[in-house]
Amino acid sequence: MFEFFLSMMKEEWRIHSTMFGSLSFALYPVLIFAIAFMGAFLLPLIRPILPFGDLALVTHALFLLLGLMIGAFGLLMNEVMERRFGQSSSLAYAARSLPLSERFIFLNFVVKDTVYYFVLWVLPFVAGFAVAAPFVGIPLTVPALLLLTLSLSFLTGLAAAFFLSIVYTRSKWLFAAVCVFIAAAAVAAHLAGTGAVALFLPLALFRTFSWETLLAACAFVIVLAALSIALMRPASAARAKHHRDMLTPLTRRFSLFPYPALAAKDCIDLFRSGSAVGQTLFSFLLPLGVIWFCLSLLGPFLPGYSILLLFAVLTGVIASTMYIWLTMFDSFGPYACLPLSVADVLKSKICGFAVLQLIPAAFIVLVTVLAGEAAYLLPALVLCLSVSFYGLAVTVYLTGLSPSVLLYDPRVFVLYLLAIGVPLVAFIALSFMNPWYAMMSLVLPAAGWWVARRGVAKWDRKEVAGF
Amino acid sequence: MNAIVDVQNLTKVYGDTTALDTVTMSVEQGALFGLLGPNGSGKTTMIKLLTGQVRPSGGAATVLGLDVTADPVGVRSLVGIIPEQETPPSFLTAEEYLRLVGAIRKIPDTEEQMAWWFEYLEFGDKRDVLCKDLSRGTRQKLMFAQAFLHCPVLALIDEPLINFDPIMQETVKEYLAGYVKKGNTIFISTHILEIAEEICSDFAILQRGKLLSTGRVAEVTGAGRHLNEYFLSLIRKGGHV
Ligand SMILES: Nc1ncnc2c1ncn2[C@@H]1O[C@H](COP(=O)(O)OP(=O)(O)O)[C@@H](O)[C@H]1O
Ligand SMILES: [Mg+2]
Repeated sequence: MFEFFLSMMKEEWRIHSTMFGSLSFALYPVLIFAIAFMGAFLLPLIRPILPFGDLALVTHALFLLLGLMIGAFGLLMNEVMERRFGQSSSLAYAARSLPLSERFIFLNFVVKDTVYYFVLWVLPFVAGFAVAAPFVGIPLTVPALLLLTLSLSFLTGLAAAFFLSIVYTRSKWLFAAVCVFIAAAAVAAHLAGTGAVALFLPLALFRTFSWETLLAACAFVIVLAALSIALMRPASAARAKHHRDMLTPLTRRFSLFPYPALAAKDCIDLFRSGSAVGQTLFSFLLPLGVIWFCLSLLGPFLPGYSILLLFAVLTGVIASTMYIWLTMFDSFGPYACLPLSVADVLKSKICGFAVLQLIPAAFIVLVTVLAGEAAYLLPALVLCLSVSFYGLAVTVYLTGLSPSVLLYDPRVFVLYLLAIGVPLVAFIALSFMNPWYAMMSLVLPAAGWWVARRGVAKWDRKEVAGF
Repeated sequence: MNAIVDVQNLTKVYGDTTALDTVTMSVEQGALFGLLGPNGSGKTTMIKLLTGQVRPSGGAATVLGLDVTADPVGVRSLVGIIPEQETPPSFLTAEEYLRLVGAIRKIPDTEEQMAWWFEYLEFGDKRDVLCKDLSRGTRQKLMFAQAFLHCPVLALIDEPLINFDPIMQETVKEYLAGYVKKGNTIFISTHILEIAEEICSDFAILQRGKLLSTGRVAEVTGAGRHLNEYFLSLIRKGGHV
């Protein structure tokens, strides 16, 4: 059975490397190593501003988040592969016809994800830090402990994502109950004075190592994973359900769009795949929750409105990734039998994206009011949406209809970071001077318009791969 | 006779493979044309070129008088296409998919056409099932309905019968024969020569991207001779060149 696991690993590598070229894919760990290595040298500079404990918190939170997002993404991957490469190409899918149980395949899937991303993300990060540690006077026990606790953070995220998504497919009510329970536990811990952070065992372990905490942290991961597997429902049980027509009413509703039927289709994809809720939770609210938390550590150093505007910028960046939601279930193939060009499909996706921006808009309104900064609602909203549309334009230009390339091709990713990062730093600086200067970010959508037009023309000229 | 498809020195190169090598051929109106050849000989590539899904590396092709490089969307709005591999969108039901096609092609009588196809290919009971939960055979039925929904004067079908059971194969063969009788043209690719001999009026044989022969099926068969003997003799000769 180990052979099955090995072939799944090989498949993962093959998928990524054929999509993005194996060399540029292998560069990812190198990039992460470099970031951690250089980051370590910044530590002495950062320390006066941000206490070491807070930095550890942020790092652990980021790896937790990474686990959550990869877990959610991994579960969707099967669906994505089915769309992009045809039904039979994903091994996990093909294996349904082999005499292997669904649970066994799922277990392999989990282990595969863990090993794969551990090697790709966790290990290079810790290695980079460890190599730099002697130079900045950090004892080597710190990176050693970090390897353990960051791995545990990542695993906790991964297991939680699997658990939550399986509970979600099982019963929406149970899912709601679990969410309420988590929130209640956090509030209770907060009221008890220990702080919600105390519930995050890997971090507690990093702060003060003890065998009990290590055991508890491991047990937490194992229990979540075991529960997920126990709760799994065989796919065959959920088959051949009947659905009522959603396309006709939605097409009517989107009648102002360039291609109402395509917009309706994207909307249906989001709902029926469960990603409308899943993605909002895992790829939007969760990362933003973590970011808000990290930013709140800056409270003593920055005025409230600066934190709010910084948050608005980051919300805009996250919101621009909603373009991925609209493209992940699509390959251009089925469109290629129809009188549609790549440009038509791109334009339709961009319109769909515009509708999805209601989510970040509503979110920013809520956050601004809750933070008691309602006076700065307008600049926060403008900044967030401007950044989001500009980010979309850059994504369209760089990746066309397959934005997930960003995750795998560091070359494209670095271009993306540069194109987004430079203007963002400028507008963050401006808004720190005077919050109303944030209104100047309205030039971003204008620039985005130009970039997006060039992007659409560029991808329309290209032959689409994967035909 | 009018050439519905006209191909001149068409070439397609992928990296270091030449999938099609200076092919010149034409298809007349009313033909049921079979593009034959072993696996990897360039049949799918030809269909993708003719429908503007990939661009030629050399040469030119017109379909229904339109240049496929200059106006691929125009070509696709006129013809019907069944690709070799693509499956319908996962999260739409069969019915929704056909409505989507109807909306994009601006077909006035989608509902009637759709009802006819559900009945004719006997999959009306699957109309409200998501495409990802359909069997291969049913998906292929759906792809058929999708291609003929706007009653195109030319349909291009890549390996048309491969996912069907024998009974459904007969139904589809009958449909194709009847469709060309009405003056329409059908262009299929297949490596199954029995099918080609049974239903095609004209053929072209490809091997490693080169055109070996093209002509009328009746001219190389009959009097106990079969298309597969002709095909094998050509391929063997080609192999020695
Ligand atoms: N996208 C592609 N990239 C590289 N090579 C390709 C691509 N598509 C087809 N080929 C190659 O072109 C040749 C012809 O393929 P194809 O047209 O699919 O043949 P057939 O349909 O007759 O089996 C094969 O050698 C195939 O490997
Ligand atoms: Mg083929």
